[in-house]
Amino acid sequence: MFLTPETIAILILDCIFIVFAFFAFVISINIVKKWDLNSTSSLQYSLEKKAILAATIIKYIFVLKLPLFMFFVFTADKISGVITGAMCAAGVVNSVEFGLWLFVFKIINLFVFGFWIALHVKDMQDEKLSLTKLKFSIFLVAFLLLIIEIAYEISFFASLDVDKIVSCCGTLFSVASASSFSVIFMIPNNIIITIFYATFFLYLVSFFLKSELFFFFSNLVFFIVSIISLILFFCTYIYELPTHHCPFCFLQKEYHYVGYLLYVTLFIGTFSGISGSILSLLKPHHSKSYYKVSLFFNTLYTAIITAYPVVFYIKNGVWL
Amino acid sequence: MIRCKNISKIFNVNKPNELTALKEIDLKFKEGELVILKGASGSGKSTLLSLIAALSKPNVGEVIIDEKRISKMPDNFTSLFRRENVGFIFQKYNLIPTLSAYDNIILPLIPTNPNEKQLHKRIDELLKTFCIEDKKDVLVKNLSGGEQQRVAISRALINNPKIIIADEPTANLDAKLSLDFIEIIKSLKNDATTILIATHDPLFFDLDFVDKIVELKNGEVIDVSHS
Amino acid sequence: MKINHYLIGFAVSSLFRRGTKSLFVLFIFTALIFLLSSILFISNSIKEELNLTLDSLPQIIVQKLQAGRQTNIELKRVNKLLEFQGVQSAVPRIWGYYYFEKAGVNFSLVGIDAYDKQYKNSFANIVKNVNFDALEKTSSMVVGQGVKKALSENYYKNYFNFIKPDGDFIKVPIASTFSSKTSLESNDIILMPRSLVLEIFGMDKTKATDIVLSVANPEEIPTIAKKIKNLYPDTRVITKSDLKVSYQNIFDYKSGMFLALFVISAFTFFMIIYDKASGLSSEEKKEIGILKALGWKIDDILQEKFYEAFIISFVAFISAIILSLFFVYTLEAPILKEIFIGYSRLKPSFDLPFILDVQTIFLLFFLTIPLYLAAIIIPSWRVASMDADEVMR
Repeated sequence: MFLTPETIAILILDCIFIVFAFFAFVISINIVKKWDLNSTSSLQYSLEKKAILAATIIKYIFVLKLPLFMFFVFTADKISGVITGAMCAAGVVNSVEFGLWLFVFKIINLFVFGFWIALHVKDMQDEKLSLTKLKFSIFLVAFLLLIIEIAYEISFFASLDVDKIVSCCGTLFSVASASSFSVIFMIPNNIIITIFYATFFLYLVSFFLKSELFFFFSNLVFFIVSIISLILFFCTYIYELPTHHCPFCFLQKEYHYVGYLLYVTLFIGTFSGISGSILSLLKPHHSKSYYKVSLFFNTLYTAIITAYPVVFYIKNGVWL
Repeated sequence: MIRCKNISKIFNVNKPNELTALKEIDLKFKEGELVILKGASGSGKSTLLSLIAALSKPNVGEVIIDEKRISKMPDNFTSLFRRENVGFIFQKYNLIPTLSAYDNIILPLIPTNPNEKQLHKRIDELLKTFCIEDKKDVLVKNLSGGEQQRVAISRALINNPKIIIADEPTANLDAKLSLDFIEIIKSLKNDATTILIATHDPLFFDLDFVDKIVELKNGEVIDVSHS
Repeated sequence: MKINHYLIGFAVSSLFRRGTKSLFVLFIFTALIFLLSSILFISNSIKEELNLTLDSLPQIIVQKLQAGRQTNIELKRVNKLLEFQGVQSAVPRIWGYYYFEKAGVNFSLVGIDAYDKQYKNSFANIVKNVNFDALEKTSSMVVGQGVKKALSENYYKNYFNFIKPDGDFIKVPIASTFSSKTSLESNDIILMPRSLVLEIFGMDKTKATDIVLSVANPEEIPTIAKKIKNLYPDTRVITKSDLKVSYQNIFDYKSGMFLALFVISAFTFFMIIYDKASGLSSEEKKEIGILKALGWKIDDILQEKFYEAFIISFVAFISAIILSLFFVYTLEAPILKEIFIGYSRLKPSFDLPFILDVQTIFLLFFLTIPLYLAAIIIPSWRVASMDADEVMR
């Protein structure tokens, strides 16, 4: 077990999350099975109250998970000083086989929990509580996702080995690596850039068409393409090194923590797009303001990420 | 319009101390009516009022107000309904004694995050109407019974309610203050507010502006008289 | 979303109206954060101090072993060691511990030679500042500040009488005192000419305590260490990274113990808060009933409770951090530091270097505030979802 004050903090919070999420899980099962708003039984009455407890617990978990995600990256960065060969969080995450999965689940859960809360807010606006059954069914799945994430996290800290020599971002994110990434690295830069801006264009089209389903998919695709193009192309301009493809190093102080800005704008932009369009599909009278929020943040992200190569070209007169 | 549709309320269901507080009550009150609920203590007056205000739910039947089935609404929405439509005057005032008169009066509006200017205007109006302007910042526990009563009424009126519910409003007042209270009720009646008063104070029984007197006994309606 | 300052105002007044209860919670929460932040501040500082010490350690130390115990090493091996490729310098060290019975402390006696290459930067500085020729001529010593204090407490103001192995006294005058940037190591040190150290310990003149090497390319250290081991099978070769790891291990073990203790006290805290938040007076119950009758939603009451918790946490957090900064860096963490370092009796006291980083603050936040919030969720919900018709009875 790798115990530092940071990992202990994360583990304590994991324990709290498990216990409380379990309460919410039990409540959810009861609601999914027995919810009937027309009934005046004391059971229904107590379920209505418990639904509020479950929602409060889920809000609590989500509100903490947001900063905790960054804290996790920060911690992994710090641990990289102790693990031989690791220079940033990428090396630490990669030092354990399922490190990448832990990360994927963390991101999925942020989206799922965030969406759940958006759904809850929507639900509470209508006195028929027509989304209650749906939202607690979704939580049943979210709970399992959370448990998987926490299980991965605990075994991650348990299997971190100080004596093991790991390879870091330099080899991890390159053509030579044997990881699942390597295939993607075969794609030439100009195709990557074309795909990225084409996706953004597609996204803009979906914004003006105002079709929920189209908007949902364009956001989802934009998120995935953004992450891939960031690793493959754009981050080399942040590091000003053609061979450095790490999605973590620019979270560090040397790059003015710009990674946090990039990830947060991308998250808000695509999250509001994705969750907003699902809510609109569920409830046709949903306010359309999420379109604007999503457009603003996704455009901001695109602007910042575009600025890096452009500024580099202006300064140096060449591309990397 | 307030419609009580065949409601029953039973406390401690399936327990040895089971108690039927209300039995198959069926009542209709029109908008702007002043209704007196009459009966000895324990006759079910307060229980009926709390069901109408959706403070608790009937075991059988339902309460419908302006086509809203308020007895079927979830807790958060019944609160919202009260905040927007109901003003309460309780028997023991139910003020928070350690807060000032002003702080007590704004209580119903706190969750709505009201506009400061409008709020001040409204409170000043109320304080003036009930002649307690100089008591604004005095802690409620330091006020006299009559002053507390006026603070409680101000609080009930702060949200411009459509329905005012009063539970034994004169039980703790002397004869003069009770008459003052009746004057206040009379003036409210002119604003087309529905007023429900549960009381066994005979002062209320032969007022000429009362629209309806409902008499309860052991949880059942035994008489409805129109004046 | 607009912040509802009426609700915040109500939360503040609600805390004041239940003054004793709020103060009690505030007090234990502050105490918890204070304890934790003090531990973290001290451990950060000691870590920093250790790192400074470790940086100034020699790259390789060669010791001779006999029957499994360390023994003095022949001086003639120095030249052999210098012949290894990559070795920049090899310096024999003469040093040892001298137990001063009256004060019950150990002094580290270190023999120095102005013409030898100094193996530690801090010593090199001292040698530069002190008139070494005079030291040699008068057979006197330079002492660390901690030593000076221990001596003068026992009325040795200007000199000290060392007892040689054969029982004879040897009187050594104090030429001056010194301090270095890492007070952890320099406090118990006495520097004196080599010949004097040899005499006090009764050591053979052809031998040294150990030999320290410096290597031009740090990458070569493991290879050179291996070669030395092959040449002299009776030696123990210690590299800097070996030392670093063992220091780190001891240190992590200690802070780990404290964190285990913290987990227990955090759990206790959780239970106390849970209990306090659950135990409602009839007055409070009535108040909630009134609020609900007046149209407060369950969510409004929960929000108000959250504001209360936030105010308490914020006040406790800020005041605990200020208190522990004062405690650790102004008062030098009495009691707590001693426990943490563990050898206070033998090592004279030292200053903690000031370190405060954002990450520690975040860490403190995640270790404390969520705990408090978690403890109040269920009790607050219970209160908020009570039936409001209580007020009508």
